[in-house]
Amino acid sequence: MEFTREIYWNVGHGAATLVPMYLLFIIALAILVYGFRQRIAVYRQGLPLDRTDHLGERVVEMLKDVLLQKKVIHVAWPGLLHGLFFWGFFLLLIGTTLIVIQADFTDLLFDIKFLKGTFYKIFSIVLDLAGLVAIVMLGGLLFRRYVLKPEGLVTKPDDAIMHGLMLTILITGFVIEGARMAVTETGTPLAPWSPVGMAFAGLLSGAGEGTLLTIHKLTWWFHLLLAMAFIGLIPFTKFRHILTTSANYIFADRGPKGKLVSLDLENEESETFGATSLKEMTWKDIFDADACTLCKRCQDRCPAWATGKPLSPMTVVNQIGEAAFTAPDSQLIELIGKDVLWSCTTCRACQEICPAAIEHIGKIIELRRSMVLMEGEFPGDEVMAAMEATEVNGNPLGIGYATRGDWAEGLGVKTVGEDGDVDILYFVGCYASFDKRNIAVARSFIQLCQAAGVKVGILGREEKCCGEPMRKMGNEYLYQTLANENIELINAAGVKKIVTTCPHCYNTLAKDYRDLGLEVEVEPYTVFLERLINDGRLKVTAADLTCTYHDSCYLGRHNDIYDPPRALIRAAGGTVVEMERNRAEAFCCSAGGGRIMAEEKIGERINIRRVQMAQATGVGVLVSNCPFCLTMFEDGVKGAGIEESLRPRDIAEILAERIVK
Amino acid sequence: MKILLVAEYRDGKLLGSVNELIAFAAKMGGDSAMFVVGSEAALPAYDGKLYLADAAACGEFNPDVHKQLLLEVVAKEQPDMIALSHSSYGWDLAPRIAFALKAAQVSEVVEVEDGVLVVSACNAKLRRTVNPKTKQTVVTLQAGAFGLAEAPTGSPTVEKIGAAGGGRLEFGGYEAAEAGGVDLSKAEIIVSAGRGIGKPENVEMIAALAKALKGEYGASRPVVDSGWVEHKRQVGTTGQTVTPKLYLACGISGAIQHLAGMKKSEFIVAINTDKDAPIGDVADVLVVADLKQFVPLLTEKIKLL
Amino acid sequence: MKILVCIKQVPDMESKFKVAASGKWYDTADLAWRMNEYDEYAVEQAVQVKEQVGGADLTVLCIGGEQVKETMKKALAMGCDRGVHVADDKAAEKEPFEIAGIIAEFARDKQFDLIFTGMQSQDRGSAQVGVLVAEMLGIPSISTIVQFAYADGRIETRRELEGGVKAVVKAMAPALVTCQLGLNTPRYPTLPNIMKAKKKELLSLPVADLLKVDARQETTKMYFPAKKGGGLVLEGELGQLADQLIQILKEKTGVLA
Repeated sequence: MEFTREIYWNVGHGAATLVPMYLLFIIALAILVYGFRQRIAVYRQGLPLDRTDHLGERVVEMLKDVLLQKKVIHVAWPGLLHGLFFWGFFLLLIGTTLIVIQADFTDLLFDIKFLKGTFYKIFSIVLDLAGLVAIVMLGGLLFRRYVLKPEGLVTKPDDAIMHGLMLTILITGFVIEGARMAVTETGTPLAPWSPVGMAFAGLLSGAGEGTLLTIHKLTWWFHLLLAMAFIGLIPFTKFRHILTTSANYIFADRGPKGKLVSLDLENEESETFGATSLKEMTWKDIFDADACTLCKRCQDRCPAWATGKPLSPMTVVNQIGEAAFTAPDSQLIELIGKDVLWSCTTCRACQEICPAAIEHIGKIIELRRSMVLMEGEFPGDEVMAAMEATEVNGNPLGIGYATRGDWAEGLGVKTVGEDGDVDILYFVGCYASFDKRNIAVARSFIQLCQAAGVKVGILGREEKCCGEPMRKMGNEYLYQTLANENIELINAAGVKKIVTTCPHCYNTLAKDYRDLGLEVEVEPYTVFLERLINDGRLKVTAADLTCTYHDSCYLGRHNDIYDPPRALIRAAGGTVVEMERNRAEAFCCSAGGGRIMAEEKIGERINIRRVQMAQATGVGVLVSNCPFCLTMFEDGVKGAGIEESLRPRDIAEILAERIVK
Repeated sequence: MKILLVAEYRDGKLLGSVNELIAFAAKMGGDSAMFVVGSEAALPAYDGKLYLADAAACGEFNPDVHKQLLLEVVAKEQPDMIALSHSSYGWDLAPRIAFALKAAQVSEVVEVEDGVLVVSACNAKLRRTVNPKTKQTVVTLQAGAFGLAEAPTGSPTVEKIGAAGGGRLEFGGYEAAEAGGVDLSKAEIIVSAGRGIGKPENVEMIAALAKALKGEYGASRPVVDSGWVEHKRQVGTTGQTVTPKLYLACGISGAIQHLAGMKKSEFIVAINTDKDAPIGDVADVLVVADLKQFVPLLTEKIKLL
Repeated sequence: MKILVCIKQVPDMESKFKVAASGKWYDTADLAWRMNEYDEYAVEQAVQVKEQVGGADLTVLCIGGEQVKETMKKALAMGCDRGVHVADDKAAEKEPFEIAGIIAEFARDKQFDLIFTGMQSQDRGSAQVGVLVAEMLGIPSISTIVQFAYADGRIETRRELEGGVKAVVKAMAPALVTCQLGLNTPRYPTLPNIMKAKKKELLSLPVADLLKVDARQETTKMYFPAKKGGGLVLEGELGQLADQLIQILKEKTGVLA
């Protein structure tokens, strides 16, 4: 027999079918376009932002992300369900398109049929399985949402429409196939190539041919109507994410990760800084809400949310979108809430995991900027005091600037002012300069460099805070003032390479300072030390150490540096017993986002939560490589009452103890 | 050398700082006389001439009138020096007198070395010696800087001086400090928190140590101003003056205003990372350590005793 | 309505001080500078009154070298309308009477309704200048205020007395007040105000034009006080320190016996 089927069998291939069909299609498309034009007008309330540079690359990335569902399936449950559902539906879409191409064009106009023979057999089985997988996966998603009801998952009537419509379309599809097969294919060698259809045919086998033909025809039109309704509903329901989330992949932030927009403070005409209303957010800030499907992966990973703060990244994103559509004059800070905005530690857990390429952090910072720069408001008096201390002495600790280089006493380290011929400039940072616990880390780092024959220079008392905590709090002005001073010093010193022991300094010098004129290479010390060890310039003895390792946010998620520190621990003879939440899933220590300057007043202490996670691994040492993390963990083990059983240490200290003389 | 001492009278009582004035006069040698706008019912133990104006008639706080009356006494007594306490009354009245007399005013004298006046500077970190160039000098004395070995005795020869009305300031009475709860002035053991605690969460460890010692906890002004501890626990010139058996100053540098409030404690222990902190001047023991680590450790050990 | 606020630039008290070569004052090298803390409250209160009374004009005055302009800019950014810089590289050598004389000479013909100053400076701490200026100008003054209200030419304040007690004191403008810590919460300058401040008038007057009085006292020596008290200094490992201290407390005080 011929392995094919008659397209439009029983429905009719003439104008009586094609005209209403294409008419409905055009109407559905028109509604789709209309719906999106309305939405685009709302996005346009925001400021312009160019996200079409390197358009070719952007589109390629989008295609990869959409077709491979990479970000979605990264979180296997329920990601894989969605992925498989998507592929199923996508295959069905391709299938339908091929049918339309043959039936309404190649066959109609040129008498060419390709849906036959082996190709058709493969076509049949692939689509049948695709449909089955789609139904099963959709059923799984439905079960998760309506029966399992995971905490924090927001379910709206919208969701019911989507699940219902999709399921009905899929099932009616099989009913149509089953009815057709019951009449034309059962018992033929072709039938097994459509196993699901066969099953449905089996269910309908009791009916007489006349009934089957009616069922088939009615269901066919019903299925068409639903499909067209689906198309038309796209802009008005969460279905829109098919287009908006895909578009968001095109409009994504291409990095560098964690780099904020620099405000133009030279412009004397500027009267407002930061954002208070939608007019001051970008169109992307509004569009992100449309790309969001409320999957809550960000909320699930937010350390603030996890410890009782009112901040949910998902809610912030959606409140902005909702305001854009329903209350465009909203005062966003009041709407979202100050406590919400101040709670963010910029740990990036939200953006890293977001399968829709949404940018949560930038919105929060823009709103913070207006609170600080336009109102002089801070989360607490202690933060204002830290800002003022930084203005007076160049560090938020309020310690006299003249002693900034004193930590290096006795180590034979000179300032670049005294001796500019150095291999690296060590940008020390405020905590390593003034905080007793962290001075030990700085000294360890020098010992390691000296053992490796690396000549180190420092800026000494001239060094100022890199400005990162101030910037993340919203104080762009103080940040730029500090940055400009540091950049002038660094450029005058003429150094070729900067190494930092603080990931915040690293991130700021390596990325943010580029906007302000720093071109020198910057490297974090873990990468630097790893290279020294690999090159044989630094030798350490391996002495047993069982420990766990905390991936700091600004080294990990912000810079994807996960392996070098682990390699260093291994070189030191250490065995890392990983915490459950490690690498990109690491749980913040709480001090980012400028919050090192602030008191944590709401909910549980984030740092205590994290040290408890470390303790759960059963090891006695918690290794980190960030002065903020070290400070938070020292605080945390005391607060949790476990200082006898868990010792926070920095990787530099551990290595320094093991230097081969 | 003749010194005219200006005593203070407030809320119906003669303030104890009068004894410091008497001690200062004794240190300087020579004669003294005293002036107060007060009441016959509250006379100091002082063996000298006391010019008394009636506070009920002049007003307890009325700088213009007090100045006028004081100038009259100055005209009579012709003192070389007029001494007041460096208090909210004294530092307010002194410049007015000094200006009227075209006299130099040396504020907050902490000691006299070979007849030379010494004052402190920069949060008690430094000292300086001052040489007045005018015929008469007005001085204000730091609270608690001068004291007598024994309680003074004697009774003054009182000369009442005329009341005067007027004055450009209107005094509307006193408002008591927040009431209730802690009275540090009666506590025998006090552990105090200074700026060195770093953040409000650390007040707990201070309170815990106080509890372990069966005492009370207090704080220096900056800690209270930051809202980390309530005002009634503030120790210092604008808070409470305390005289406990044991005073533990944690992370307190020893600014004069605080010292003035606690330096009469019987035994003072300071915990500070700065060996040179001024608190060391009054401390019997200075433990050089970070209070954030030392205090909890100390508390634990005490609990185990 | 015209308001004047007088401020001083002082070293940050966290700095490590050294005695200058002259032996009479502290060495200005290695110091971080800032507005005298008491003056911050004065500026804030002055700005609040300016905001309250429409059309009020607020001048900030500061005596010192070029570097004090940085501090004046902060006052302007907090809301002062104009600045008067009395250029004087030797301001540190002057005593309160001279300082008051300079200010009074400036203010004499200006008819300020209100003058705000800090209660004292953090470095010299003599607590005289404010009241002296008022005496020189013949206007009433209230010192050490922790509360301030102005209405129709009348000021009502609370003075802070020892022991946390407050005294209610009122006066009619023109008047001068000296401000104590805690009077208000000094605002953090907003960026638009920082930028506007750059364009505000900052007049420089040579001190010679205003200094019409002679010094009435001089500092003869500045030095670090000798370590007194014979106090015991304990250093070392925390556990040992704690044990030592407990031992001392048992022996020397009745506590823990």
